[in-house]
Amino acid sequence: MKSWHRYAIALVGGLTVGLGAAWALTNGGLSNGAIASGPWTTSLGFGTKTADPVTRALVARAGLLALPAKETVYWSATADAAGAPLDGNCRYRLSGKPLDARWWSVTIYDAKGYLVANPANIWSVNGANVALDAKGEWRVTIAPDKPAEGAWLPGTKGQPFHLTLRMYNPGQAFRADPAKAVLPQIVKEGC
Amino acid sequence: MRNWLGPFAFGLIFAAATAWAVIGAIPYGLMKIASDRLGQGGVNTMSYGNLANPDRQPVVRPSPDLAYSSCPYDLSAGPLAIDVTPVPGRYSSLSVFDAATDVIFVRNDVEAGGNPFRIILAREGQAVPARAEVVRTNHDRGIALIRLLLKDPKEIGGLNAVRRQSSCATVTKLK
Repeated sequence: MKSWHRYAIALVGGLTVGLGAAWALTNGGLSNGAIASGPWTTSLGFGTKTADPVTRALVARAGLLALPAKETVYWSATADAAGAPLDGNCRYRLSGKPLDARWWSVTIYDAKGYLVANPANIWSVNGANVALDAKGEWRVTIAPDKPAEGAWLPGTKGQPFHLTLRMYNPGQAFRADPAKAVLPQIVKEGC
Repeated sequence: MRNWLGPFAFGLIFAAATAWAVIGAIPYGLMKIASDRLGQGGVNTMSYGNLANPDRQPVVRPSPDLAYSSCPYDLSAGPLAIDVTPVPGRYSSLSVFDAATDVIFVRNDVEAGGNPFRIILAREGQAVPARAEVVRTNHDRGIALIRLLLKDPKEIGGLNAVRRQSSCATVTKLK
């Protein structure tokens, strides 16, 4: 084998490894965040000039045009309270108190971050459309089939799903210590 | 095997350089794609998009609760004027992103006091109108995005007129 053959092989190999590494390093999604609270994770560095090149590429892939944390905090969950991946075949209770923000919503996406068709045309719940019970808590059922009562966020059978919690204009108490924020619970009730 | 030491080292360096270059290029590439998808009404003009749904998702993780109006811009022909009219009593914001995906300006309806406002987006050194609020950027291209919160998807028709009061256009007169 001639010397330039070896260099040509190294070039192709290096290109392949480089492309793969770039893709893998920026594939963490929004869950590759710096702050965790239960199953929810976020990074407060989104959308700012200080984002390092890897974070910037990661955000561009997972949440292009995301707002900075002062304006909106985006939490991502890919697992339930017990740590099991969120599964569209299962029924979950998503519940909590109203969040410390001017407005908040929870949106259901597929694992790549896109909305999936469902007969009800519902992809999110928000602070304006959930009802509070006597304890001041709201509750939503995530399941492929409509529950007998209460709010519903449709899951899709045979697909994992991700949740994004958006807090628009988070309150001062929240901003003082985001890691201590009480976020919605995601509890699996059955499959 | 010694014949491979040089090529192996070369391959490693080339891999690192490739990864670095690709990671640096990803934001620009994705921003270009987003500009093309969002800017179907053209560049330097505001497009008043319909609500996101499974058939219409110009960017990843679109919020189905927000009406997005977008203005993909190109400052090479001059600064851009962006006019925003908030809708009383509901969240809205203007955010401006540069070609590297960095946020260079954000203002929501509360910060604007609920009042309409105008900003001029300009490259360093570009002449701008006197007494204008100016945001400077190092890039020609990017996207200005207006988010408007809907309490119910059905509201979008009724908000059409007020959404269209927000606009963007290349500045042609400096006075």
